[in-house]
Amino acid sequence: MARTSPAGLHSVFYPERVAVIGVTGTPDRVGYNILESILYGGFTGKVYPVHPRHEQVLGCKVYKSLEDIPEPVDVAVICLNQYATVEAVENCGRAGVKGVICSAGGFRETGEEGHDLERRLVSAAEKYGLPIIGPNTLGMINNDGNFYSTFYPMKIPKGKVSIVSQSGGIGLTIINMAVDEGIGINKFIGVGNCSNLGFADCLDYLESDDSTAVIGVFIEGTSDAGRFVRTAGRVARKKPVVVYKAGRVTGADNYTQTHTGSSAGSFQLYRDILHQHGVFTVNSASELVAACKALALQPLPEGNRVGILTHTAGPSVVMIDHLAQAGCVIPALHDQTISRVKQIIGADNPPVVLKNPLDAAGLGFSRPTYGGLAEAMLADDNVDILLAVYCLHKTWELPASELIEAHKKYKKPLIVNFIGNWLGCRQDREFLQKAGVPLFTAPEKTAVAAAALVHYGTKLKGGGNRDC
Amino acid sequence: MTVDEIIGFAVASGRNVLFEDEAGALLKAAGIPVNPCRVASDEDEAVRVAKETGFPVVLKVRSQAIAHKTDAGGVRLGLTDEGTVRLAYRGIMEKARLIDQDARVTVHPMASPGVELLVGMTTDPQFGQVMAFGLGGILVELFKDITFRQVPLLEKDAVEMINSIKGSAVLKGYRGRPPVNTTAVTDIILKISRLVEGEPRIKEVDLNPVFAYPEGALVADARIIV
Repeated sequence: MARTSPAGLHSVFYPERVAVIGVTGTPDRVGYNILESILYGGFTGKVYPVHPRHEQVLGCKVYKSLEDIPEPVDVAVICLNQYATVEAVENCGRAGVKGVICSAGGFRETGEEGHDLERRLVSAAEKYGLPIIGPNTLGMINNDGNFYSTFYPMKIPKGKVSIVSQSGGIGLTIINMAVDEGIGINKFIGVGNCSNLGFADCLDYLESDDSTAVIGVFIEGTSDAGRFVRTAGRVARKKPVVVYKAGRVTGADNYTQTHTGSSAGSFQLYRDILHQHGVFTVNSASELVAACKALALQPLPEGNRVGILTHTAGPSVVMIDHLAQAGCVIPALHDQTISRVKQIIGADNPPVVLKNPLDAAGLGFSRPTYGGLAEAMLADDNVDILLAVYCLHKTWELPASELIEAHKKYKKPLIVNFIGNWLGCRQDREFLQKAGVPLFTAPEKTAVAAAALVHYGTKLKGGGNRDC
Repeated sequence: MTVDEIIGFAVASGRNVLFEDEAGALLKAAGIPVNPCRVASDEDEAVRVAKETGFPVVLKVRSQAIAHKTDAGGVRLGLTDEGTVRLAYRGIMEKARLIDQDARVTVHPMASPGVELLVGMTTDPQFGQVMAFGLGGILVELFKDITFRQVPLLEKDAVEMINSIKGSAVLKGYRGRPPVNTTAVTDIILKISRLVEGEPRIKEVDLNPVFAYPEGALVADARIIV
């Protein structure tokens, strides 16, 4: 696999001039959709569609060939079949293109003949030092540079989270879940067959990319697993990396081989060795998005001691299940915190269990009371991070502003878990997340988000784990 | 003999699985505590070595043709006197000589029982040399309570391996039993990691069981593939 330097990849992600080779006028063909996507995404550079017989597509002048384009292009997006792709890559190399994105399938994943074709593709590219995204990929999005080169035209909110995905379908799942969770995406790289640009190369690039703060990875398998885990570990010492590895059942190899031509390898080896290198792993796309969301919004905690404030017990039980497995502890509260809680609640014999998790039950419904309790827990120096659970109600208002105030005052990470649907929480979510406080509506997501913050808090800030 | 000489001799003899006496010598050269053994070529020698070793002893078949000694009826434990050694020797050889005229036995002192652990190394096509640790003996197959780390390991990796298996409570003293010396176990893990890192000809190491005791640890069975 080529070792393309991160600097060498910059013009692939931030091109000024892009050729779309194999553009067509038919709206259900990739060659149309990629051009549509680039235009719809608001690309500000120049776009040069290429096709020998078309004059104009989507209002753009079409060039007969790469040589007809009046100036050198930085990137070519190739929407041809697998055989023509190989030839086009050779042409791109000769024309001094700096990188190509190849969507076509029909390579290594299809068997020996396809594998030969892919070897030809790679050797054509490497003759010219040309990095290839793909083949067999959804494409790439650089939202920071308004460059959407997939065949799914979209516009997504901008943010600090970048995603590297082996699968287009799971890639789209992650992107859409991120949109639903109210977070933005910085870059999306569909690595596909990883022909000469693999996971490790993408991680190297994203490590040096200042607009990326958090990296999420979906991986089925790679022939370069050793380098991938070492690179992920190195990058994770600088910015958080969250990995979702699929293909965990025996026999998954059969499918991953025909998907992207890589064997899944042992799931447990990946998991254990990623942990050895200090990388946080998750078990689903929704956990990946939850973890990335918290890491993108919140400061890292100083340690692994989690406070939970709620007025309903069940969610805290579910959270503790997840947190305990992730090495978090639920510390006891200081006596002065308990006194402060009693004062806030104001009853002589409150029907409240005065410990962590603090379940204020019916006394926790009022916004000022809830806000006061959140402050009391954040003030406790036994607590490194607070999870606040509150149920959506027709009559009571969600204590969003109180929670933002508490977070600002103590500067400790806070994750809010409102129990309700998105429609009911939407305004509060926007309000909270603009203030940097992530909101979830499922305790499992809140817990994995907290576990991710604690993982990188103890790792990057060196606070260390404590047994309580 | 040095590690290099032991491996060189096996390879020159056309074997990729080391005999257990060779594996033992190799581990000893790497500073790893291993239950000692000596080779016996006939029944009388087996008896003489057993007497010198001190009863009870263990007899194991030593044959290039037999990869899985226990499955081939080639392991006899707890032999307490000359008579049982003679019987065991004949029993082992009856089967072994059917497939290998050069079969011999190794004679080992019977290690006192401890917590049975597994320390291993396998060469993965994707990750390269990978260390494995878990509960040993028959429990390995039953519970698959094993954890892996990529070579080379740091000390914290070895400590985490021990703490991360589900059965780690067994090591910390369970139901009134004294805790075992986990430092001795991490020491074995780290020494294997260093050994295989420096000797890439070693493809696989399977130490099972390793007995862990309150005062230390001892490799009771070793299988090394080059």
